[in-house]
Amino acid sequence: MEKKPTPYERVVCKNTSLYHYMKINLVFDSRNKSLSAEQFKQLIITGLKDLYGEVGAAFPFDVLTFNQTELSAILRVYHSSLVKLWSAITLIGSYESVSCAFRVTQVSPFLLALSGNSREMEVF
Amino acid sequence: MSPELEQCPRSLLVCEKGNFKNEKSRHESQALKHSFNCRISLLIPECGRLPVMLEKVLSNFSSYFHVQDFPVSTFLEEKWLDAVKKGGFYALSSKTRIDEDNVVAVLPSGQLILSLDKDTYEQLGLEGRPSQYSHRKTVRHIVTVDLKSLVLGTKKYQRVLLCLKERVPLKTDFLFTGGAVSLLDLLSKQLYEECRPALHCRTLQDLLCPSLIPSDLKGESGSVTPTQFLEWLGAVSLSISCDNQATSFLSTYACPEPQSSVSQALLCTVTGLISPQDVCKLLTEIRRYLDEPKLTSWVSLTVHGCADSPVSWGSAEHGFHKGGENFYNFVCFQNQDYWLHMATGAKDACPP
Repeated sequence: MEKKPTPYERVVCKNTSLYHYMKINLVFDSRNKSLSAEQFKQLIITGLKDLYGEVGAAFPFDVLTFNQTELSAILRVYHSSLVKLWSAITLIGSYESVSCAFRVTQVSPFLLALSGNSREMEVF
Repeated sequence: MSPELEQCPRSLLVCEKGNFKNEKSRHESQALKHSFNCRISLLIPECGRLPVMLEKVLSNFSSYFHVQDFPVSTFLEEKWLDAVKKGGFYALSSKTRIDEDNVVAVLPSGQLILSLDKDTYEQLGLEGRPSQYSHRKTVRHIVTVDLKSLVLGTKKYQRVLLCLKERVPLKTDFLFTGGAVSLLDLLSKQLYEECRPALHCRTLQDLLCPSLIPSDLKGESGSVTPTQFLEWLGAVSLSISCDNQATSFLSTYACPEPQSSVSQALLCTVTGLISPQDVCKLLTEIRRYLDEPKLTSWVSLTVHGCADSPVSWGSAEHGFHKGGENFYNFVCFQNQDYWLHMATGAKDACPP
């Protein structure tokens, strides 16, 4: 049976992504701190609570990947909460009284874009 | 809490569906329009080893060249102008950022595009236009020189030469690729390094896959929506696990429904400056691969653009705001139908 080819169709979607994805990593002053994924998430939630209070800290976000050796993670957050999450992690200055900082490597509304970041890539 | 905190820059996703056999199908021209690609990745479900024919195409991707401190005025030399007229090479300044530095690119159409900061633009003295993505105060200008129409010795030629050679002798690292011309001849005077695109393959076991229906692009009849599908594809390429418990503290990500389990899948990535011609060759080979009966009903091909190229689709201006993503994804089905998803970030034109 020869199937009829599907007709051409084009859809333009603006801001359809419900989420934003962030690639971040945590840098410590002295390099001898280890965290589990749960502790990492808890640290971010604490930061949110400090800046935005209980209500601000209540919005959900996901830790999609966590690399324990590099302390890097990919987060998924609703796009309406991106700015809040970003500002909160910027202001986190210490973990268990060791000073630390979050570095944001990439932010994108598409998770797929995080797998092909030309700024991080060594092509030669 | 102030509502401005909840706003985000815009993003665009253009979805198309069509059939490769359709005469008016634009799949090839769409791929050719996207000039600067830094990585492609190929996902083949129900496949354990890279098929020979596909491997042949992937390992025959053309080399690219890395040249250090290449003076931009070299493009005006006679042999370079001749090469431009013959049509075809891609050049992009490397390690330069579109929101911080001067970025230079040459398109196969013969256009030399300079995206310059305010100081360089004012010193250079070539006519340009303000960048589309400036704020109230213009801090970035785009100068386009059509190398194809430039004739040696004319007044216009002399002027461009004077500007690029004496007023501001711009020099940056470059990446070159592709084309009908022999880049080795052209680069003989320069210190260059030939690079091969790097191929990596990974076999994934027991993967949850969303079920795709070729005729249902928007996911209206209960299958996956384009955003869900792209998210899933991203999760696969970043090895994000789908099987999270409902009570999991860390993540609530799950594979979109309806889904099926795939015993194994092959994920191949090629990294390097990849010319659009090579992408087209690969696309043709994927279609041939699917022509024979296979367990899988589809294969996906993702092409990532460079975040810092001055153009994205065709010669549309590209910018960087929070992210500079510009990528497209083909899903090829067994009946020669295809889906094409083209995604851009905040400072990017709508794909053609």
